[in-house]
Order: sequence, then structure tokens, then C-alpha cells
Amino acid sequence: MVNFTVDQIREIMDHKMNIRNMSVIAHVDHGKSTLTDSLVSKAGIIASAKAGETRFTDTRKDEQERCITIKSTAISLYYELPEKDKDIMFQKYNEEKGFLINLIDSPGHVDFSSEVTAALRVTDGALVVVDCVSGVCVQTETVLRQAIAERIKPVLFMNKMDLGLLTLRLDREAMYTEFQRTIESVNVIISTYASEDGPMGDFTVEPTKGTVGFGSGLHGWAFTLKMFADMYATKFKVPAAKLMKRLWGDQFFNPKTKKWAKNNDDKSGQRGFTLYVLTPIYNVFNKCVDGLNLENENVETPVLELIEKMGVKLSAEEKELKDKPLLKAVMRKWLPAGDALLQMICVHLPSPVTSQKYRTELLYEGPPDDKVAQAMKECDPKGELMMYISKMVPTSDKGRFYAFGRVFSGTIATGMKARIMGPNFKPGKKEDLYVKNIQRTILMMGRYTEPIEDVPCGNICGLVGVDQFLVKTGTITTFDQAHNMKMMKFSVSPVVRVAVEAKNPAELPKLVEGLKRLAKSDPMVLCCIEESGEHIIAGAGELHLEICLKDLEEEHASIPLKVTPPVVSYRETVAEMSKMTCLSKSPNKHNRLYMTAQPMPDGLPKDIDDGKVTPRQDPKERGRYLADTYDWDVNEARKIWSFGPEGTGPNMVIDVTKGVQYLNEIKESVVAGFQWATKEGVLCEENMRGVRFNICDVTLHADAIHRGGGQIIPTTRRVLYASVLTARPKLMEPVYLVEIQAPESVVGNIYGVLNKRRGTVNEATTDRGVQYTVKAFLPVNESFGFVSHIRQETGGQAFPQCVFDHWDLLPGDVTEEGSKTAIVISETRARKKMKEGLPKLDDYLDKL
Amino acid sequence: MFYLVGLGLGDAKDITVKGLEIVRKARRVYLEAYTSILTIGKNELEKFYGREIILADREMVEQQSDEIFKDSETEDIAFLVVGDPFGATTHTDLVLRAKEKGIAYRVIHNASIMNAIGCCGLQLYNFGETVSIVFWTEDWRPDSFYDKIANNKKGGMHTLCLLDIKVKEQSIENLMRGRKIFEPPRYMTVNQAAEQLLEIIEKKKQEGDQELELTEDTVCVGVARVGSDTQQIVSGTLKQMTTVDFGGPLHSLVIAGHLHPLENDMLKLFAVDVNTLS
Repeated sequence: MVNFTVDQIREIMDHKMNIRNMSVIAHVDHGKSTLTDSLVSKAGIIASAKAGETRFTDTRKDEQERCITIKSTAISLYYELPEKDKDIMFQKYNEEKGFLINLIDSPGHVDFSSEVTAALRVTDGALVVVDCVSGVCVQTETVLRQAIAERIKPVLFMNKMDLGLLTLRLDREAMYTEFQRTIESVNVIISTYASEDGPMGDFTVEPTKGTVGFGSGLHGWAFTLKMFADMYATKFKVPAAKLMKRLWGDQFFNPKTKKWAKNNDDKSGQRGFTLYVLTPIYNVFNKCVDGLNLENENVETPVLELIEKMGVKLSAEEKELKDKPLLKAVMRKWLPAGDALLQMICVHLPSPVTSQKYRTELLYEGPPDDKVAQAMKECDPKGELMMYISKMVPTSDKGRFYAFGRVFSGTIATGMKARIMGPNFKPGKKEDLYVKNIQRTILMMGRYTEPIEDVPCGNICGLVGVDQFLVKTGTITTFDQAHNMKMMKFSVSPVVRVAVEAKNPAELPKLVEGLKRLAKSDPMVLCCIEESGEHIIAGAGELHLEICLKDLEEEHASIPLKVTPPVVSYRETVAEMSKMTCLSKSPNKHNRLYMTAQPMPDGLPKDIDDGKVTPRQDPKERGRYLADTYDWDVNEARKIWSFGPEGTGPNMVIDVTKGVQYLNEIKESVVAGFQWATKEGVLCEENMRGVRFNICDVTLHADAIHRGGGQIIPTTRRVLYASVLTARPKLMEPVYLVEIQAPESVVGNIYGVLNKRRGTVNEATTDRGVQYTVKAFLPVNESFGFVSHIRQETGGQAFPQCVFDHWDLLPGDVTEEGSKTAIVISETRARKKMKEGLPKLDDYLDKL
Repeated sequence: MFYLVGLGLGDAKDITVKGLEIVRKARRVYLEAYTSILTIGKNELEKFYGREIILADREMVEQQSDEIFKDSETEDIAFLVVGDPFGATTHTDLVLRAKEKGIAYRVIHNASIMNAIGCCGLQLYNFGETVSIVFWTEDWRPDSFYDKIANNKKGGMHTLCLLDIKVKEQSIENLMRGRKIFEPPRYMTVNQAAEQLLEIIEKKKQEGDQELELTEDTVCVGVARVGSDTQQIVSGTLKQMTTVDFGGPLHSLVIAGHLHPLENDMLKLFAVDVNTLS
């Protein structure tokens, strides 16, 4: 631990080249938090005692009980790069000074991956932790993909080596193969989602480059090839950089000829990695742990002597230790995890100066050459202020929050006047904009906060008082023409919802206040009031909702709650082209709209979700893409009026009319009606998805006063509804991708559970014939209680992870009585207190 | 019988004798209350006619015409319209629907702004297409009425501009939520209309349109509460129209075309500044 005063920390903040902002990301249970603790114990700034024993970053009681991370936590570390590592540093930095590392530990469970998104936004690099025994899992892939999309540079850490040695007792070559396989899968993901000639260049991970670490977070030891290369460099009198290349891959050393070869066909050589890296480690393990007989070269030296030879000095007390405690003590002294990781972080992760050059264009909505965009690119502390608030952190003062975020340009100071802009702010308008003084800037470190005078760009900090003006996220700036920073895109969506009410109806105001606080405290949870007056909470999954409800009941509202069983959101879509051109007349009968609906081609809704096709794109560029990818008519593809719902959703309205006068004067009204109709579909007021609407023809009153919003908006909605009803309407349900790991003996039981719940298995792989990995699709609607069900059926031996994957058509037609679709519609309508029975086409379609 | 009765422009007494007789004997009397207003309220009308009147808002007229037509096969139903039933506000749709149901109808005409505008001294013969100028919103700023005014002017014709009125309008949010919450009534003033026109002219200039039919010096006439005791007529340039106080609603604006010397003399009677009308 390092003890610094706030002034000292503030001083390091000015050396922007020496700052590293990073997240730790991984699949659940791959040991992030434990690993983070070993970093904190080595270099944590103003951290309290007890590191190592407890998970420092898990600040909540339930996190410690469940042993999972729920909220992401930021901590700061201080590290001075040792002399020997200075030569491999390829970024510019201030050699006189140490490094300030702002680290964010984030949850691994998919239900909380919105926390990961928020963490990635404020960091530039990521330490990807992978359990070397289980390899790359579904959540590893999700977070890695997200990191790449945000242009976050990854380094890899292969964790839980102790398990491989002590429990699985892998031989050296098998260990190497495990590593090799995992690194390859990580690189496959990286090269799938990023191109080498992108602005970040090639950032696949490679042990010989030093971007892969190995070790055990639990035992507190870790190494990179650089460390071993350094050890041998003096012995062999070969430069470390040259040696590193020999220590990985197909590099075999023949002890007889003392020569290196690229293959080992005659079995005379030994792999550099096994010989020079794994052999000494296996030695220590064999010697320290009684009865452990790992395959290795036999070394007769007694344990303490061997340790002495490696240059590890044990205290008298430690020498008394036996078995695993001794092993731990030795490994920690020999290969301290902190050193290896901190070196990797400082050398290979980018400084804000490096990363903001290529990240700014992704982060900023405004023109790339305006004042703040330039200041962000240069990470200029003297430029105009730009700060992004990525989440709200509850304070000890109930109901109040710190706004947590990253300063991208300029300097934020206590008391300064700034523009606080919410997500709905548009340049030149006053909506969602507040010009206020910043009450206080603070440093946030784990569970501690310290007031600080000001914070320059490149750093992460908290703000007091801003929570009144922002719901969850926002931009803070001093530049009056600044645009917003881009909204974060979450990889999960709030598809599971419950309705809550206060057990005692008199406590409704407390519930309402509590819901407001809950909405603030979680980056993704949705709290809203339905038409029926129900209070709805929507989350990513069962666990996410469970935690939200617990927080609401115990923290935010502090009242007993009644909760309905969870229900999922559906989407309304169409299966065919409308069988006729639909007409609706405006209430004054002077305006007539003619439209049709048709399904979007497969893949387009996903492209819109993923931001490959967006409303902000240049219409020409977008038209080209649609024409090339989906064979659309270029002229039509250029005339997309709007995306919806919310202006960005996966539905479109397109003008395919020919020469209608004054059509543009009703555009705003048609778009408003389209937003309304796609938000509340005709079947059961769920969002629409994957529907393309065509405006075929329009007859308008000659005078503008008779074609205002009051006439056009409801008419648009009616004609869109009629178009849907004539295009074979369908419902879609959300589907999870489930990954289940279990021993072979219970695989049959897993299939049984999946079958009962409309699940479909799409892949089953085995790892050395012991552990099975089953991948299956499971409708979210069938997933309630799935985890406990499967644990029960398998005697607790199967561990499922559910992550939202796609939307799938529900079986059956809307008109087919008793079909799944018809049942869901009538249930949803009943729940929303809508009129019974499907709406009639005649309500929306007018005759000529 | 279904009667469409024009009420004229001023107050209760502007109704025709024929119209009044129908109102007095009709089974039910509706007053269309959203396209225009009289200077007096419903209560005073009721007092003058000596009978009860039902207010018919937009929703009732456009969507619940069956209720209005009820029993009109056998009884007399009167539908009162400010101005003339077929003047500025066209209730043709109501007539079509009545016809469809086989209901007989009659129209009792009255003065409308379409003819009463002659009070300003411009010849009705010389008017071109009539336009409405609508309230602009944040993102809805139609300007097609400018093109029509310009077309009229090109042909030497005057343009009568009817100014937007918003009575019982819902906000978009309330419309979507189906809430019957209405915005307070708004009536466009001559000042506002002139400002919007000037803004369009400015925009066209910036887009490189140099030879504009309309300029800030174009001769205009603003009128307010035509037909009532407080009627007001002021002539001047478009620029001047932005500052004259016209008092309460309703207002209309005329953009003059080619002026006959007699027309010019009349306008001078109402001029803000006679020098601008040479």
C-alpha cells in the first residue's frame, strides 16, 4: 500500500502520459476481484488494511455473501516502473514520475454487464481475466467484444494456474496447450471485431509481446515472459527481448546440440516455454506440496535450498510453513503478482493521451474539428471542459448520488460554472440542459472519497450535486456549442419486468421516490409507470431484478413491497408484405395517407441494434450499404424518414411516393405518429421490431392549417396499424443463449430441463471428456427459476449462464385460437387492461 | 331537416332573421366552436336566442357526427357556424355525411371574413388564393403559404391570410396518451404572422433567392375583429405590421397585390404612416 496525501495524488494527475485508466473484465467466477485485491495490496493508494483476506472492491454486504461483484468499483494504484523495464516502454512518459493507475473492477455476471459498459466508457485499457481451466466463456466474449467496440485495448491474464496444477494435475505440455488454446480464442474474437488496419493497429495479444500474463490471483503470484527472460538474460548473456521470442510457441531447445529448432519431430528437444518457464514452477509445486507428483524433470535439491537458489528470501517464520501455505509464501515472494501485472498494465495499456487520439471520434457526437473535439484529441487540460458521467454512485447520505465519470478535456474544479447536459439535449436547444456550479469534485477510491480542488483531463473522478440534474448519464462542459458525448450502448436489454406496489398503499409516495433512486443507481434498470398505473421495473435477467428489488425494498424505499411474477417484453412484427395498400383519412377527411408494411430483410434489425445502420449516418452512405447488403432500391434507401421507436429503433418509415406537393410539411407529424405506433404496436402495445413502412401516396388539403399535427399524427398511427394488420402480424419473444458447464453424468438431466422449457440445444462440447459445455437457446419467458431448477435436477453440478441473444418468432398466428401467439396477446392485453380481443382492421382502414 | 346556419362575424345580433327563426324552433342547436370565435361567449348567445346551445368541439364534429344528426330525419337540428357555413371553414364533409344518411339539409348564409375583408378597401375581385398562416413549433415550420402569396402577388392579386387559432388542442403527448387535457386557447396576431413571413423572406435570401416577390416593404393590411364594434384596420408595410397593437382576437392579414389608385386612396385612410403608401 502507498500512503499519499490528496495533494500528492493531485500532483501525479497532471502527468497525463503517466496515467492508465483500465477496467478488469471477465466471465463470472474467473477471479477478477481476487486478482484485483492482490494489486491493491501491492500498490493501492489510501487503502485500508485487510486486503487479500476480503475482496476490497466488493463493498456491499450482499456482494460479500454471494461472492459475486454487483457494482463496479474504482480504485487508484501507484507504481514506479523498475529500471530494467524502462527499455521496453514504447509510449512517451515522464521518467521522473510514477504511474497513476485508475482501476475499475466490474461484475462478471451477465445480468450486470451494463456496469461493465459504464466502466469501459471511462477507461482506455482492459485487463481481461480468463480462467485457464475453463477457457473463454460466453461472458468473456461479450465483454471483450464490447471493449473492442469502445476501442479499449486489452491485455490478457490467464488466471487460476494453481487449479491446473493442484487439482487437474496437468502435465507441462497440457498446460501449454490450454494456454495456447485460450489465447487463440481470445485473438479470434479480437480479429473478428476489429481490423488490423483500424486506428488502433494490431492489438491481438501475444505472450512474446508481453501482453499475456499467467498466474494465480488466489495465491498472489503472476508472471509474464518478460520476467523469465530477465532472469535468464544475465545467465545466458542474451538480451531479454531476444529470449522472449524463444519462450513461446514452437521453439524447441535441444540440450545436446544446444540449438533451437522450429519443430520437434525427432522428440530430441524441449519447448522453450515448458523448459524455462514451467519446469521451475512445477519444481516448486512438487517440492512444497506433499504427495504432489507432477510430471517434471527430477530435481533432488531440498526445497529450502532450491528456493534460496532462485533468489527468494524467506523469513524465519515462513521457513516453518509446510505444504500449501509454504507454496503460497514461496510463489508470492518469487513471482509477486503485483509486479507482473502492473508492469504489463503500464507498458501495454495506452495513456489517455494515446487513446483519446483514436477514441474521440467514437465518443463525440459533434463535428470532429470543433473546439472540444480538438481538445479531447489532444487531451488538453487547458482546453474547454468535456466530462462524461457514466454512472451514479450512492452516497452515505440517503437518496443522494455522486456522479462518476471521466474528464476528457479541460479541467473540472469545485465551484466552477458548467453546462450539465442530459441525453435528450440537442445543440442550440434548452431541453435537458442546466447551467450550474459544480458543488464539489471528489476522488473516489473503493469505499472512500476525498474532496479535491480540481481534476485535469485524462482522470476519473466524482461530482457532488450533479445528481439532481442527470438521471443516469450525461455530459458536462464549459463550451456553449458543445454536442453531447455519445450514449453508451448496452449489450443486454431490459427484457424481464415485474410490477411492484407498496404493501401498505399509504406508502406509495415512498415507493415512487424509491423507484427514482433505483433508476439512478443502476445504469440499465428501467422504472416506469404503465397506463394502468402499475409501477414497472425492467431488468436484464432474474438475478438483476432480484438485486434491484432487494435494493428497492431495503435501501431506496425502505418499505415492504408486493411484487408480481416476472413477465417478459415482446415485440410486434410482420411476416409478409401488406396484402393491399392501406388508406386512412384524417379526422377532417381532407387528408389521405396510403401506406404498406413489410418485414425487413433478415439481419437488418440486428444491424440497426448494432449501430451499423443508424439514423445519424449520411443518407448516401447508408443507402449504399442497404443497396449492397440487402438489395434495396438505392433511391428508396435514401429516403428513410425515420427510425423508431425512440428515433433509433429497428423499424423504418420510407417515402416511396412520386412527386407529392408539400409532402415535407407533414413529415414531422408522420414521424411523430410513426414513433407512437412503433412504440405501442397494434396487437398488444408492445414495441414493434423489423417492420418497414412505405408511404405510397398522400392526398393533402391545400391549406397548411388543415393538415397540422392534430390531423396527421393520429391518422398516421391508424394507417400504420392497418398496414400491420394486413401484413400477417406476428409476435417475437426474447431468447437467451445459455451456456451450461457440467460433468458428463448429468448432461441427460440438463437436456430434460431444457426440453421442458422449450429450449433447443445447438452445441455440446467436451473438455477432455470430463467437463461438458452445452450451449442452448432458451426463451426468456421459460427461464424463470431455470437456474435453481437445473441445479436441483443435477444435484448442484451444473452452472448455467444466460445471456440475451436474439428475438425469435413465437409459434402460431395471431388469429389462430389457442396458439402461443394468441395466448400471449390476450394475456398481455388483459394485463395492460386493454379491450379484450384483437383490434379490428375496420377501426383503422378507411374506404375510398 | 339539418340546418347549417351562419352567424356572421360580430356578435349575437348578426344572425339573419331567417336563421334566428330556425334556431328558435329547432329541437337541438349546436355551436361549432373550434374554427372561429365570436367576440361574445356562449352564455350571451343563449340569452339572446332564448334557448340552450350545445357546444360542438372538433372531436364531436369530426368523429361523432351521428350524435349531431340524431333524429334529424323527423326533427329540425341547427348547426351554427361563425361566419358563413361555406366560408373560411368548409363544412362540406358534414354535408356529405348527411347526404350519405339521406338527411335533407339547408344552408342559411351570412357574412364571412372572405367577403367582409372588403372593408379594408381592396377590391374582392382582385383577391387570389386564400392561405392560412399556421403557428410554427420547434420542428414544424411549414412555409408553403409563402409560395402561394408570392404566386398571387406575381399575378397582381391580393392575398387574404387567415391566422391560426388553436382552441381545445391537445399536446402531442396528451394526444398519444389519449388524455383529454387541452392546451390553453391561442390566437395568432398580425404581429406574429408578419414576423413569420419576415423570417421566411430572410431564409430565402440566405438560400440565395434574390428576386423575392415579398419584401419587408410590401404593402399589407392588418384587420382585427371585423364586423364587431371594436373593428380595427391598419395598413402599412410588412415590417410595420410587426409592431402595431391590434388588441384581442381574431386577426387577419392581407398582402396587397397591384394597387388601383382608388384602392391606394382607401389604404391611406388606415395608414400607420401615410408616407410609406405613396
